[in-house]
Amino acid sequence: MKLVYLQLADVRQFRRPLRLDGLTDGINLFVGPNESGKSTVADAIRAAFFERYKSRSVDYLQPWGDSSAGPEMEIAFDWKGERWVLNKRFLNKPRCDLVIGHEHLSETDAEDKLAELFGYQFALKGASRPEHQGIPGLLWVRQGSIQDISDPVSHAAEQLQSALGTSLGEVAASAGDELTNALEKERGQWLTRVGRPTGEYKIAIEACEAGHAKLGELDKKIAEYRGQVDELGRLREQRQSIDQPEPWRVERALASEAENRLREVRGWQSQQQQDQARLQGAERGRELCRQQARSFEDDTRQLAKRANAQAEAQTQVEGCQSRGPQLDAKLTQAKTAYEAAQTAASQAHQWAERARVQKEHQELAATLTRSRETLQHVRDLQNALAGLYGQHQANVIDEKVLAKLRRCRNKLDELAIRRESVATRLQFDLQPGKSVSIGADRVTGNGERLLLEATEVAIPKIGTLRLQPGGTDVAALVRDERRVQDQHDALLAELGVETLADGEQRLAVGKDLANQIGREEARLQGLAPAGADALAAQCKSDQERVAALAAKLDALPVVKGEPLDDATAQTALEAAQRKLKSVEQSDADLKRDLAIANQLLVTSTQEWRQLNSQLESPEYRARVTAVSNQLVTLNAEVESISNEMDARQQKIDAVQPEIMQQDVDRHTRSAEAMQRAATERKQAIDRLEVTLETLGAQGLEEARATLSQQVEADDHRCSELARRTAALDLLLGLLKGKRQALTRQLQAPLQKHLDHYLKLLFPHASLTVDENLTPEILTRQPATEPQSGGVQSLSYGTREQMGLISRFAYADLLREAGKPTLIILDDALVHSDPARLGQMKRILFDAATRHQVLLFSCHPDNWRDLGVPARELQTLKAAVA
Amino acid sequence: MTRFLHTADWQMGRRYGRFNEEDAAALFEARFEAVERLARLAHDKNVDAVIVAGDVFDSQTPADRTLHRTFQAMGGFDGPWILIPGNHDAALPESVWTQAARIRAVPDNVHVLLEPGVSEFREQGFVVLAAPLTQRQTYDDLTAWFDTAATPEGLLRIGLAHGSVEGQLPDAADSSNPISANRCETARLDYLALGDWHGTKSINPRMWYSGTPEQERFKDNGAGQALIVEVDHPGAEPSVAQHPVGKHHWIKVHQHLSVATDLDVLVQEIGMLPPQSVVDLTVDGETDLAGFERLQQVLGAASGRQRSLASHLDALSLAPTEADLASLHADGYVGDVIADLRERQQAAGDEAGVARDALAILVNALRERRAGAAT
Repeated sequence: MKLVYLQLADVRQFRRPLRLDGLTDGINLFVGPNESGKSTVADAIRAAFFERYKSRSVDYLQPWGDSSAGPEMEIAFDWKGERWVLNKRFLNKPRCDLVIGHEHLSETDAEDKLAELFGYQFALKGASRPEHQGIPGLLWVRQGSIQDISDPVSHAAEQLQSALGTSLGEVAASAGDELTNALEKERGQWLTRVGRPTGEYKIAIEACEAGHAKLGELDKKIAEYRGQVDELGRLREQRQSIDQPEPWRVERALASEAENRLREVRGWQSQQQQDQARLQGAERGRELCRQQARSFEDDTRQLAKRANAQAEAQTQVEGCQSRGPQLDAKLTQAKTAYEAAQTAASQAHQWAERARVQKEHQELAATLTRSRETLQHVRDLQNALAGLYGQHQANVIDEKVLAKLRRCRNKLDELAIRRESVATRLQFDLQPGKSVSIGADRVTGNGERLLLEATEVAIPKIGTLRLQPGGTDVAALVRDERRVQDQHDALLAELGVETLADGEQRLAVGKDLANQIGREEARLQGLAPAGADALAAQCKSDQERVAALAAKLDALPVVKGEPLDDATAQTALEAAQRKLKSVEQSDADLKRDLAIANQLLVTSTQEWRQLNSQLESPEYRARVTAVSNQLVTLNAEVESISNEMDARQQKIDAVQPEIMQQDVDRHTRSAEAMQRAATERKQAIDRLEVTLETLGAQGLEEARATLSQQVEADDHRCSELARRTAALDLLLGLLKGKRQALTRQLQAPLQKHLDHYLKLLFPHASLTVDENLTPEILTRQPATEPQSGGVQSLSYGTREQMGLISRFAYADLLREAGKPTLIILDDALVHSDPARLGQMKRILFDAATRHQVLLFSCHPDNWRDLGVPARELQTLKAAVA
Repeated sequence: MTRFLHTADWQMGRRYGRFNEEDAAALFEARFEAVERLARLAHDKNVDAVIVAGDVFDSQTPADRTLHRTFQAMGGFDGPWILIPGNHDAALPESVWTQAARIRAVPDNVHVLLEPGVSEFREQGFVVLAAPLTQRQTYDDLTAWFDTAATPEGLLRIGLAHGSVEGQLPDAADSSNPISANRCETARLDYLALGDWHGTKSINPRMWYSGTPEQERFKDNGAGQALIVEVDHPGAEPSVAQHPVGKHHWIKVHQHLSVATDLDVLVQEIGMLPPQSVVDLTVDGETDLAGFERLQQVLGAASGRQRSLASHLDALSLAPTEADLASLHADGYVGDVIADLRERQQAAGDEAGVARDALAILVNALRERRAGAAT
């Protein structure tokens, strides 16, 4: 189909007729700003087809404020080789004419013819609504609604399905969908959509669970009841076998018997205690007697002791007395020895004094002799020194002048050498026996002469040779020599010597004398440091002392006998003194010992007498006898009581009273325990009987059987329903699955077209359609992982693109089915990004190779590269004007 | 001559879980009716006594009403009723019997022998040697003491016991409560009335299980009877006559369908079942839709005749024929579903059953739809 032209008059802003002609196959692009009339054109086309010419609902098409206008439109298109021209006027003088080739249709016939061709319906009343608009409703897209695909598709479902060749209704066999619905309905009675039990099924399941729970409770109760019945039987049996014979009676009898026996033993024990007291009394008395007897024995021993002491004192006195005379003799002897020693010591002292003075006198005399000799020697030395001083004076020479002289001498020698070197050398070697005269000299043989002045050599028989030495300095040299010789001579004169050697001789002698004087002076100093006079004084005083000592020696007495060593005598004296002292001490000791011994003898004698008289008294003797007798009696008593007690204790030990007491306790307690157990059993039996009576009246087991019957029925019902629902699920699953498979098969052509476009936008993506042919799931495969989502969940832009792609696919489908396809897009794809828009343009261009497309846009820039010229509505409008 | 009625295993108060409420209630009632019929039979046969060999009650704690109803149902015979407890109602320290005594439900002519011992019924011409169970289970032969029990001369020695005769019962796996098979000889009994085995069974001419008067299991062992025993004089061999007293037969039917005639056999069998029976029917194998429809129709009719009809068709596969499918108009994908389900019926376990149910649902739905379309 191809729209050829369309013309509007009295339609909104187009009061004057607007004619869009020259429409081409493929894309026809109309651009213009908002309110330039793009939507008006689209609306007019829609109204021309969808609304009955008599409809009053199209007043929106009237020019603003002109309610008398009759909007009119003429649309021409070619279809299957014929030109179809529709002329329609609304509101004012409405009419409708359709010319198809040579055929003319008018009014509703014309309208119905178009509706049939394009696949839409008219509203029975009022304005056409989307559900009436069928295929054009899908392909003629209003501004901003391209992303809405679901509703338009559902409104065109019938036409689309017929285009697929077979309707899905046919697909569903004779009754498939109906069956499915009926079964779904039944399933809905039992299960929710997600498969959870509901309604009666749910109630049945709950009843089952409740029933089982109740049954469990009853089972527990019954088990308890049975347990109690068994317990009752056990208790009754025990009562019969254990309590009936009253076993505690036997125990009580045994306890009583043991008690009687125990009482007897207690008597013995009491007797034993009494005897114990008696025994202790007797033992105490006996102990007192024994103590008394021991005291008597002590007295006797004391007496003997005192006798011994007395004898011992006597012995001591006698001992002391016997030692007295011996000691007196010793004392006298010691005194004599001491006096002798004293005399010897005095003599020895006098000897010693005389010897000392004598020795001093001898020594001093010797000293005096030596001093006198020394004094003589000193006098000699003084005389010798006086001679030496005179000699030295004669040989004194000025050493400095001598040194000057020495230098002059050296100079003279030097000058002589120079003169010799300068002088003319005359060497001669004369034949033996021959001689010549040189100056005044006569020479023979060979030799040499130095010539300082003209000299004549007279050769005998020959004549004379005059020799004149050459050179200038010889004269000066001779002059210097004379001057120095003068100086030298002067100095010799000054010193008063003939020659330098003399001078030197005098100097050496002077020095030697000086040394000699030094030595002698030193000797003098050694002999008389303080001088000779002091030495003389010393001699004099020494002489006086020698005289004094001689006098003293004469005054000393002359000691007779052998000379004695003073120290030895002193030592002997001290020994004699010590001896004497010791003997005197011994004597004093003896006297003291004797006194003590005498005192002791007196005391001990007195004590013995005192005690002896006491022991010898009659009272004392009587007491000793009485105590002895009493002891014998008490010994007998203690033995008797002990024997009795031992015998009785053996009896007591044999019967073991503690064990007897335990027997009494044990039997008593056993009896009590048995009676208590019997009582408790009786009470337990009573309690159980009452409990069981109550429980028995409840008819537990029959109640359980009744309940169990109900529960079994419920279980049965549940399992029936479970099977029923399982069967329904299976059946529905199969029905739906098969139907879906079939649907897919039938939708294949549509899918093919969809895939064709989708590939251009998203390579490797797939878009499924549901059984209403509405796009459903878009699955894209980016590099990472597949993304799958419902079309409704996509972004606005993507939904818009899907909307357009789907429409093209439907259009392709319709075209293949031989249906007219005109696509009108009012401002499509305004939400697509440039990249997507680029892709979409390729898609659009591709679709336009098969379908005519009217594209209205207020964004001319977006469509500049679409390969078609843009027609500006304003320009068209102006052209009309 | 002494004549008495021997019965046992009344199991009064028994409830039936596997049935629907109505059937269960009817089966519960049936046991009381059975006792009433026993009383009538005793009266009609003019017996000297009725002997009940244990398990009078199904449990130790039935409802008091059950106790009262039981003893009242015995009212049709005013001669002595001689009862012993069995394993279900053993004479425990507290038991159904103490409860019955407590609520004074036991009439004077009913003698409950709760302890082992000899009871003399001189007027009736016999003594009873009773071996009641006083425990739920015992592994001793409680009749052993019969051998040495002295009884007055001239009176029949009638034993009364509840348990398993050794080596006689088919499934005597349960070895509790044993009874010697030679007891009549060793204890010189004229008759030993036994309970516990629910079918009627003679161990020897003097030793019988009467069986339960009203059947309550699917076991074809001659239950639902009572015995009328006549003994001419001590030592004489008793004459024992079996009398049916039960109302409901319990019948198990199993049929495998593979060829069309198998179904005919089954239909015939169902038609021949005694009315008012309790029927448990299992059908397996395979059938076409027509067969299945016929089976359902027959079962529906039978359920009206019978007290209870439980049918188990899980293992029965539906195999619709081409003609079936054509008649159902199961074309398009519905046809595919049917084919799929047919295959699934061959799977193992529950899956096959579910598939069969699903197929049945589908077939019914299609049939209903056709019926709807036709009208």
